[in-house]
Amino acid sequence: MADTDTLTRTAEETSLDVPWNVVVHDDPVNLMQYVTYVLMKVFGYSEKKAKILMMQVHQQSRSIVWTGEREKAEFYVQQLQAHQLKTSMEKAR
Amino acid sequence: MKALPTLEGGLRIDAEDASDWELLRAIIIDATACPTDLASRLGGLISEEAGASDWEEYVVPDLREEFQDQLAQISAAVEAASFHAQNGPGPIWITREDAAAWYSSLNQARLAMEEHFHFGASETIQVEGMTPERQAAFIRSKFYCAIQSLLLEFVMK
Repeated sequence: MADTDTLTRTAEETSLDVPWNVVVHDDPVNLMQYVTYVLMKVFGYSEKKAKILMMQVHQQSRSIVWTGEREKAEFYVQQLQAHQLKTSMEKAR
Repeated sequence: MKALPTLEGGLRIDAEDASDWELLRAIIIDATACPTDLASRLGGLISEEAGASDWEEYVVPDLREEFQDQLAQISAAVEAASFHAQNGPGPIWITREDAAAWYSSLNQARLAMEEHFHFGASETIQVEGMTPERQAAFIRSKFYCAIQSLLLEFVMK
């Protein structure tokens, strides 16, 4: 019986993570001033930027308030939900 | 009932009689009246693609506990102040440190009422023709909103 050798070949493949959007949805309860306050507190946004995003939520029913890696997106969604904002996350297209 | 900002950066609410204390107790009742609690409702916004089952297992319980703790804190504050005032005229103080728990509890109450009554945007609401239950809920919701506005303007800024 002939000796056999096992040849193992490994291949590495890397791909970029798909970015995720953090989305805040409009609701008739959360006050506009509060939404601005939360966006400033959670993301450290300036008042001007937070107000622009808040107005998008109010006028367009939703706003993408942050885009980036999944783990961070999950963290931000949790923070925003802890402040009782209607928040979801979706893959950035 | 009167509510005023304090020099220390907080808020003082003056209850005038037993009915005012009942109104403050109603925050907790309203916040917990919805069959599906707020943490679960928020968790329902997470899609399968985003990991809904993990969210339900790991995040929702933490949110639920946080919301319940905030309600418990406010309930204890109202009961202590009411006891001190012998359920009659007397103040309740909201310090800067307590403001987030108060705001959250009032918000939980308003979100739960919206879930049940579907008031919608306030500028479109007609009070006339509402059932007494709906009218009372709407008035409580407006009161909670007024306290929230004061908290935002004078305490949480």
